[in-house]
Amino acid sequence: MTMMSASIHANTLEKPQRDWVLVALWATLALVALIWVAPFVFIVFTSLKSNAAVMSSSAFAPPVDPKFANYSGAWDRGRFNTTFFNSVIITAIKVPLGLFISAMAAYALAKIEFAGRKMLLLAILFGTMIPFQVMLAPLFTLVNGLHLIDTYPGVILPYLAFGIPYQVFILQSFFRGIPKELSEAARIDGASHFVIFRRIFLPVSLPVLAALLILDFVSTWNEFAMALVLLQDRDMWTLPLGLSAFQGQFSRDYGQLNAAIVMTVLPAAIVYLIFQRYFVSGLTSGAVKG
Amino acid sequence: MSTVQIRDVRKSYGAHPVLHGVDIDIADGEFVILVGPSGCGKSTLLRMVAGLESITGGTISIDERVVNGLEPKDRDIAMVFQNYALYPQMTVAQNMGFALELAGARKEEIKRKVDHAAGILGLEPLLQRKPAQLSGGQRQRVAMGRAIVRDPKVFLFDEPLSNLDAKLRVKMRAEIKALHQRLKTTIVYVTHDQIEAMTMADKIVVMQGGHIEQIGTPLELYDHPKNVFVAGFLGSPAMNFLDGVIIGEDGSFLELGGAGRVPLANGYRNADGKSVIVGVRPEDIGIAEANGIPAEVIVVEPTGSETHLAVRLGGQEIIVVLRSRVSLAPGEQVHLSFEGARFHVFDKETQERLQR
Ligand SMILES: Nc1ncnc2c1ncn2[C@@H]1O[C@H](COP(=O)(O)OP(=O)(O)OP(=O)(O)O)[C@@H](O)[C@H]1O
Ligand SMILES: [Mg+2]
Repeated sequence: MTMMSASIHANTLEKPQRDWVLVALWATLALVALIWVAPFVFIVFTSLKSNAAVMSSSAFAPPVDPKFANYSGAWDRGRFNTTFFNSVIITAIKVPLGLFISAMAAYALAKIEFAGRKMLLLAILFGTMIPFQVMLAPLFTLVNGLHLIDTYPGVILPYLAFGIPYQVFILQSFFRGIPKELSEAARIDGASHFVIFRRIFLPVSLPVLAALLILDFVSTWNEFAMALVLLQDRDMWTLPLGLSAFQGQFSRDYGQLNAAIVMTVLPAAIVYLIFQRYFVSGLTSGAVKG
Repeated sequence: MSTVQIRDVRKSYGAHPVLHGVDIDIADGEFVILVGPSGCGKSTLLRMVAGLESITGGTISIDERVVNGLEPKDRDIAMVFQNYALYPQMTVAQNMGFALELAGARKEEIKRKVDHAAGILGLEPLLQRKPAQLSGGQRQRVAMGRAIVRDPKVFLFDEPLSNLDAKLRVKMRAEIKALHQRLKTTIVYVTHDQIEAMTMADKIVVMQGGHIEQIGTPLELYDHPKNVFVAGFLGSPAMNFLDGVIIGEDGSFLELGGAGRVPLANGYRNADGKSVIVGVRPEDIGIAEANGIPAEVIVVEPTGSETHLAVRLGGQEIIVVLRSRVSLAPGEQVHLSFEGARFHVFDKETQERLQR
């Protein structure tokens, strides 16, 4: 009895304290979220205003008379028919292909013993350390030498080359963490390396793969510098290139510019929403008891 | 027919030897348990039989076919791991049917075999669950189910019960034994729990430091341990060891730790004055009325069915297990009776059992 009342007492004493920490945390989070969301709100609102309304109203005032025509206007002016199509082709090929190659390489590096494995891993690690800006000029020379300027392979191949090393690095360290008994059990069950990779490792790694896919999608979709160097023909331009031309070439129509930005960002947001549900933690739980 | 022969098998990791030439013959349908302290190479040996570890020297044959170079899947074995190693994204049924699926079996056949194994293990209600939704004991059972479904020549178990709590372990022990009696498949089972070994095995292999110390049935090892290590390893509470000296022309007396003399049923010839280690099992010692060897009680532990006594005999402490209840208190003097006791006499230098 006395013990019980004592513990209740302790609880009531503790509770407000804990709550204060929580409140502070929530407040901070809300503030951060606000700062994060503000530019987005600004962009969406502006994309629906006429130029006159942009100049006369506050940036965060909702549009009084939404001007959806900004979107169709931006689509035409930015030649989105072409650039959107190019971006989709390049991203749709590069992202899954790169992730697949990375995952296979990571499996080999993590789970198959072969001579020179450590060296290979070091070489790949080295690949993650070179900023691509340094490589732009030699890259142009190389791609030009291969007569691939203004072609899809001409950008996809360099994207793969710069994207794969860090994915391999992350995936191989994740694969290393998968208990070896899991692949051993599969080997005894008669699985080849490829079956172990596809049937055991890929499903178990879904959260990491989803995270990498989202990151890679966003960075490929938004990539500007390499595309600028490697794609000179306007018919080969990607969205970010089209967007940049927007600002320089036309009169300053803020409404249309922001509409173009919204349309550029939207696919990334959609991809994020689709794949974030795979971010469930603890997919290996239940596999082993340790 | 599914025998396993292990012939002079050696294993080194780099320059570091782990197994120094191991020979074991396993008959068809036999339940063989490898026991030994941590790090003695039990798992390594089992994994070599499974094909998960390369063989540095010697041969391993299953059914008189040398399997040294064969992949695990071609050896017709199934293994149950200590941590179960269930495929987390698959249901229980898929886990159990995975090997058959990979072997290209038809759907109906897989289902029939999985259902059959699930029936044996009482897993029917769980077939559609994922491993994360199972308790430890259930996961353990699924891991066994995965092995049963394949109907292999040999089951390999690596400490399958060591992650379970004590009560469940006793239950699963009985289940595995019943399973063996039902399926009659050859089993090689690794544990460092000597009680598991004693209760389940047809044959026990006691290992230490990459060597085999002794092979035999549980009772053979219990009654005739070949050396001090085996004698001390099997049995709980463990065997008592006392310093002793053999006395007499025909070696028919033992001087026990300077505390007193006991007669030996069969003497050791030509061993007068030899220093030995005398092993006595706690349950072989009794309390005498008067003319036993005097000792002082240190601890009294009633377990209900038995009473465990720690007593000081000469300078040494030993354990006595009595089948009856006694009213003794620490500090009291008792007389120990070694009447009819089985003495295990070991050479003090070699630690080997002394031959008569
Ligand atoms: N991959 C490895 N590389 C080097 N040494 C190893 C390796 N695997 C095991 N060993 C060594 O081999 C010896 C035997 O290991 P093993 O796992 O067979 O022991 P065990 O008898 O199963 O012990 P436990 O009861 O703790 O499981 C140990 O000394 C261990 O350090
Ligand atoms: Mg082990």
